Amino acid sequence: MRLKWVLIIASLKMFFREKEAVFWTLFLPLFMVVLFGFVRFDRLGTIELGFVDLSGGKAPAILSELSAIKTIKIHQGEQDEEWKALQKGERDLVLVIPADYHSGQSLIAYSNDAKPQETQLGGLVLQRVFDEMAMKNLPSEQRILVQTKPVKSRKLTYMDFLLPGILAMSIMQMGVFSVAFVFVDLKKRGVLRRLKVTPIRPNDFVLAHVVTRLVVLLLQVTMLISAGVLFFHLNFVGNVGVLFIVGLLGAIVFLGIGFAIAGVSKSEDQVAPLANLITLPMMLLSGVFFSRANLPGFAHLMTSVFPLTYLADGLRSVAIDGATFQQVWKELAGLGVWSVGSCLLAVKLFRWE
Amino acid sequence: MAEIILDVQNLGKRYGSLVAVDGISFQVYRQEVFGILGPNGAGKTTTLEMIETLREMDSGTAVLNGIDVRKDPQRIKQSIGVQLQSSSFFDKLSLTELLILFGELYGRKADATDLLSAVELQDKAKARVNELSGGQKQRFSIAAALVNDPVVLFLDEPTTGLDPQARRHLWEVIRVIRNDGKTIVLTTHYMEEAEELCDRVAIMDYGKIVAMAPPQELISRLLASGFTKQRAERLATLEDVFLNLTGHSLREEQ
Repeated sequence: MRLKWVLIIASLKMFFREKEAVFWTLFLPLFMVVLFGFVRFDRLGTIELGFVDLSGGKAPAILSELSAIKTIKIHQGEQDEEWKALQKGERDLVLVIPADYHSGQSLIAYSNDAKPQETQLGGLVLQRVFDEMAMKNLPSEQRILVQTKPVKSRKLTYMDFLLPGILAMSIMQMGVFSVAFVFVDLKKRGVLRRLKVTPIRPNDFVLAHVVTRLVVLLLQVTMLISAGVLFFHLNFVGNVGVLFIVGLLGAIVFLGIGFAIAGVSKSEDQVAPLANLITLPMMLLSGVFFSRANLPGFAHLMTSVFPLTYLADGLRSVAIDGATFQQVWKELAGLGVWSVGSCLLAVKLFRWE
Repeated sequence: MAEIILDVQNLGKRYGSLVAVDGISFQVYRQEVFGILGPNGAGKTTTLEMIETLREMDSGTAVLNGIDVRKDPQRIKQSIGVQLQSSSFFDKLSLTELLILFGELYGRKADATDLLSAVELQDKAKARVNELSGGQKQRFSIAAALVNDPVVLFLDEPTTGLDPQARRHLWEVIRVIRNDGKTIVLTTHYMEEAEELCDRVAIMDYGKIVAMAPPQELISRLLASGFTKQRAERLATLEDVFLNLTGHSLREEQ
């Protein structure tokens, strides 16, 4: 036990003396938050309209007219699903066709009051569509009126979406890159061979490196969340403990991948492309910067099982929705399966020489 | 006869069709410096690495201080000190921290100051390995091999790549360690080094031991067979000239 501590402390010392690596590990995510926070990629999109039909299809005309408008993206769904989506900020407006719908009735579009511009624009577009329908088909009847009614949403912003995503991404980067580069270097320079002639147990050494990175993870989580709350109006309502556990499980998945890459690579030149090949698609498609909601069906399905998707979704639910362990069971299960897989792969591929 | 500390019998290793070590046998006595000589690729390093538990033996046995290498590699690791040919250490720890860490790997409290003085690096206690010169690195590597007070110290080409001053300095260090009662097994392809340091040498070629005796005895045998040098022996070599002009061992530290 004493030796394990000694190794962990030595490993921590070594990690934190690598000043540049520490800087990039801890501050790069913060840079990205600032950068993407300014650019506000979410503003560039279309109006996300939830469409809830309680009338059993009495309003086909409305649906087809709305579908023809390019700036509107329609999500048809059950009322409570769409409601949740609205509260999470995934919808700008939700239009509800009531069960007793008849033409001429005024309709209500519920809005997310955290997004006043989108709401306003969406409301105008809807009114215009209905006005045109009224002119064409129902000249004598009363026009359809759209009222927007803000739901009691927590004012979720793009930052609330972005920051947990960046956190997930930085956990991935740290897990995959730092382990793979460090171990390939130790292997190449013969340090591992030198250790092998001492009575050290390889597992103790690996454990020290894993623990070091978990400590770094705690720092990353703490720093990003505090920076978010202090400077970026992050709506953090989660339990920090739950957040750490989800992050930890994610870190184990990516550390396993890092060790596997270190196992099959002979030099740093081989680590970089392999690690990028694995991490880049996830970085772009796992819902770090943009919601996966807009991905086409197949891509949506495929990316839904990426480990980074589970991690980003899990961290986001905990941070922003205050989800408990039970509420993120799906993400935890996904990460659990991945961590078993990646650790088995690491054990199979990792070599001391 | 002195006590046998390392007994190697029929040791063999092959890589595919290449026979790297071809069933060699030798004994090393307590407190001697035993040299394994040979050109590159003769099998010296493979031989050492099998005894050091780094490589599987294909055939034969090696018994060190009564411990069978194959049966109890973990106890062998406790009893030996090893300097590998291209030894490297963690960059981010100081020499003192490294020695203490290595001591912990053996469950010992290493006296870093003592170990560093033994290899004349006491001034570099706070330095990192990558700040050392080639000779200093090799001497540190020996200090690290001594943390567990090993029964046998293995040095694999300790002076390869060093300049003449640094090489002589290292010889001094090795002699002092031997005089302190350690048994040392080293490989080299410098004959002068073997002659200076080794009590006995084994000459290897193509995986076999072709001769084994004290250096002077091997020379005498050769002369007795009627050998004469094609060129008359010179009283000084170019290395002597070089050392005479540049000083024996002072230069390396600066």
